[in-house]
Amino acid sequence: MKVFKINGGTLSLALFTDVTNSKELLEGMQTATLEPEVAFLNALLIPDIFPVLAAAHKTLVAKSRDSLTTRTLHAELVYNYSGSKHISESLKRCGISDTTTYILAARFDATPEEMKAVEKLINGKEVDLEELEARANQAQIQKHYKISGPELGVSSLADAITCRIAARDAL
Amino acid sequence: MEIEADTGSSSLILLKQGAEARVFESDFVGRRSVVKERFSKKYRHPILDSKLTLKRLNAEARCMTKARRLGVCTPVLYAVDPVSHTLTFEFVEGPSVKDVFLEFGLHGINEKQLDDIASQIGDAIGKIHDGGLIHGDLTTSNMLLRNGTNQLVLIDFGLSFTSTLPEDKAVDLYVLERALLSMHSSCGNVMDRILAAYRKSSKQWSSTLNKLAQVRQRGRKRTMVG
Repeated sequence: MKVFKINGGTLSLALFTDVTNSKELLEGMQTATLEPEVAFLNALLIPDIFPVLAAAHKTLVAKSRDSLTTRTLHAELVYNYSGSKHISESLKRCGISDTTTYILAARFDATPEEMKAVEKLINGKEVDLEELEARANQAQIQKHYKISGPELGVSSLADAITCRIAARDAL
Repeated sequence: MEIEADTGSSSLILLKQGAEARVFESDFVGRRSVVKERFSKKYRHPILDSKLTLKRLNAEARCMTKARRLGVCTPVLYAVDPVSHTLTFEFVEGPSVKDVFLEFGLHGINEKQLDDIASQIGDAIGKIHDGGLIHGDLTTSNMLLRNGTNQLVLIDFGLSFTSTLPEDKAVDLYVLERALLSMHSSCGNVMDRILAAYRKSSKQWSSTLNKLAQVRQRGRKRTMVG
């Protein structure tokens, strides 16, 4: 796992493959019984951590102004990462489903004990964040974010996603 | 567990101040960034002022990302903040085309580099015009050359808008032509090289260049008002 400082707070990220209990995790999340509260992202859509940090930044700014669009801080992170305004669709695509096996877990201002607890929640193998790029599903990313060929000629996937996250509310 | 480089310092260093906005250098979650803040105009009615500022802020964000979608390099947009009226985007390291051309004027022209820059400019403008985007302020100081790759990066979409009219495209090119004439006459006829590249890049070059000939005769404004 790794901790990133954003806006005076922190975001802890941990990446898991071969996750077997995503159904349980999803249910726990939907009934808000997960302890501690954490965001699960579909890591296939994440080629780099930078767009996640940009989404986290946006989330914290909204939180500081009490203007979250979704119910919780961590749902807001998933929603912001999607770059779309459709909340339920965002949570479905960028969050996890019953069958997801590859997950990025994220928690704001987590203590080391809390992150230990998160690791215990997930039945899977933790891998290094460096693996994101190689494991990302480029076709799925291009489809979800509507990234065209010409754009990839001048931009990386991660930068294209970052632009969409930032510009969503301006569109 | 490791802690990544600090980012939250968010110290702002003023880079430039214009009539509409201030530009600062800052740091965005670990990357060097530029913050463009549109400040409020005290002489405007407060409600009108905030509406105009927000509209322009959003328009700029839209146009910047649209240009990228059309395959023209612009700074990566990091954040849009409608409350503080700021845009945060990538800090592009490299000189402006203006500085490079002025350097040519002083120390002789590097023909190969000049050709490369001119063809990149023509190609980029052709692409955004075909996509229906008008930059609105094409000057050599709004074009940067990325260190290392010499890739052209268009900046400042503050006056951009969408239009498919040959008139608007021709005026866009005309503004650039005037800027080149007044700043960089010592570089020879760069505009011809730019237009040659534009012709290759834009499918609608013919109607635009016809219009450009008309615009040259009458100037930027269609009517003589204002």
